[in-house]
Amino acid sequence: MEGLDLLFKGFANSLTMVNLLGCFIGALVGTIVGVLPGLGPTATMALMLPFTLKYGPETGLIMMAGVWFGSQYGGSTTSILVNIPGEAASVVTCIDGYQMAKKGRAGAALALVAVGSFIAGTIGIIGLQFFAPILGNAALSFGPPEYLAFMVLAFILLSNLSGDDPLKGFLMVGLGLFISSIGINPLDSYPRFTFGSDKLMLGIEFLPLAMGFFGITEILNIAVTTYALPMAKKLRLRELYPNKEEIRRSISPTFRGSILGFFCGLLPGPCTVISTFISYSLEKRLSKIPQEFGKGAVEGVVGPESANNSAVMGSMIPLLTLGIPFAAPSAVMLAGLRMHHVEPGPLLFQNNPDIFWTFIAAMFIGNIMLLILNLPLVGFFGRIATIRPQLLMPFISVICLVGIYSIRNSIFDVWVMIIAGVIGYLFRKWNFPVAPFIIGVVLGPMTENSIRQTLMMFRGDMTLIFDRPIALSFLSVTMAFIIFRISYPFLRRKFMTPKA
Amino acid sequence: MEDVLWVTLFSILEERVTHKNYIAKGQSKMRGILKLFHPESFFNFLLMVLSVVIIIVSLRYGFGALRRPGPGLYPFFIGVFLILPFSIILFIAGLKSKKSEPLFDQYGLRRILLMILTFILWIIAMPYLGYVIVTFVATCCFCKVMKLEGWLKPLALSVGTALFIYLLFDYWLYIDLPRGILG
Repeated sequence: MEGLDLLFKGFANSLTMVNLLGCFIGALVGTIVGVLPGLGPTATMALMLPFTLKYGPETGLIMMAGVWFGSQYGGSTTSILVNIPGEAASVVTCIDGYQMAKKGRAGAALALVAVGSFIAGTIGIIGLQFFAPILGNAALSFGPPEYLAFMVLAFILLSNLSGDDPLKGFLMVGLGLFISSIGINPLDSYPRFTFGSDKLMLGIEFLPLAMGFFGITEILNIAVTTYALPMAKKLRLRELYPNKEEIRRSISPTFRGSILGFFCGLLPGPCTVISTFISYSLEKRLSKIPQEFGKGAVEGVVGPESANNSAVMGSMIPLLTLGIPFAAPSAVMLAGLRMHHVEPGPLLFQNNPDIFWTFIAAMFIGNIMLLILNLPLVGFFGRIATIRPQLLMPFISVICLVGIYSIRNSIFDVWVMIIAGVIGYLFRKWNFPVAPFIIGVVLGPMTENSIRQTLMMFRGDMTLIFDRPIALSFLSVTMAFIIFRISYPFLRRKFMTPKA
Repeated sequence: MEDVLWVTLFSILEERVTHKNYIAKGQSKMRGILKLFHPESFFNFLLMVLSVVIIIVSLRYGFGALRRPGPGLYPFFIGVFLILPFSIILFIAGLKSKKSEPLFDQYGLRRILLMILTFILWIIAMPYLGYVIVTFVATCCFCKVMKLEGWLKPLALSVGTALFIYLLFDYWLYIDLPRGILG
């Protein structure tokens, strides 16, 4: 019952003007960002950090989660209306969503997606509310060896799941870890890789890097591509009603997608994107009419869109219970919470339970807000997608510049952002995944601490890690994954029927 | 049930392929301008050099003992086990592969250089001229680089942006940014 008590208290806390406004602004900006191709949720969240500093950590967390949540809603709008995914997690929605729009069922698709996302979000929040405190308590018994083993597992999964080449993933993790080691090392106050520069003594900040890789890179990318202006169809409110058949067909995909997405959120890497692809193939496999997929099957729209919303909530679990972000947006959240002097992790539930429960309550409210915001305003968001990048990019560029400068009043940070943006552009061209790099940077200090503390604890004998049951199970899962990955081509031949 | 499990496992690994194909669809292949030396290989080569530098420098920082690790141990391991081997593999793979896709065509190169130049202009001029003026000028430049037609639209957009940023940072957030000559 204690949980329910705390939740009510959370509702009471979140119903302040500031939190509600933060939630609304986050959700609105998130939806707009999800609609617009270009700036994704990660860059937007990094940009919004200076604004959250004015208020408490709860407001900051609520605002950022609102952006992430909202972008999942918004992404579907452009996918269905104009066949352009506003962000990566909506790529799958284009396949059947646009086909539905062609048949004149765009309104129904959007309404079903909005309701599906709402249900998925709610299921995700309930899951988070239920699992996070339990896992947080379990994580209290984690020592440095357990963290080390967990980190190894996370990095291996991360390098494999993001990008098309695991080798590049590993390389990027390495680069991220290296970047995080620049500056004065807190363990023995020894400056490393500073090459005599004062600026580098404090290390390279995470936020300019994230802004560079996700914001500036995107701007440069849009600047060089010729952009065909999409044509949005006009929608009337009464077209939003789905028919009975469509409703019946979307009930189970919504629930399946929600549960699947929640667990996908626990995977390191681009969990929201992965969840949509899995949900799509699952729905196609389970469907009695698989031939309709690709021609406007409502299951192929509702399932993935539900999955990506609950995946957002799922990925909050490793962030809040262990302080380990698994995806780029949650890495930004971690940076944001640290700026508010809140360290997420097992101790969060003991020291600052209010933050967690206010966050949960605000997410319930935010979810309702998004539903209300999305259904009537869908036509408006569809029109936003047709704003030309020539008008939008100059504005976003200067916002990035001023925003990143304002965080620490440091020109050095702006240089870091621009250089990171240019390098990020090259990375993207050559298909180097950026998420492992960014998460490597965030987790670098923690990784080093756990390695060094483990070594000291075991007096240099690393084999003692096998005597710790939790660490051993993490390492076994890692081993199992590596074996699976290596034998994958063989398994595929044996178990998958060849595609027609 | 088993079926579902397999589909799930396979689609985790398959998703990027589908994703990539979808994104790549419709993008035109551009002609190579850098035929002699593939920039990606050069980049991998640079990473190799970087890893060697990391290894040498961390050796200088001191390794300590395994039971009392020194400051150089961790970066040394990163260099030896993560960056060096993978950059070598990718470098060799890059040399063997015949495909060479250029980074941008001539037109794109010009545009991207101008964009970067504008960013640098903002960074250099901002502390002296103040953020309002520089933001105004930079927005104008960005508009022209991105080929926004005419002069009225870019000017209106720049004035609007500069005003918006001024109100946002000065009035709402009370962040003290350099005002330069407007001081």
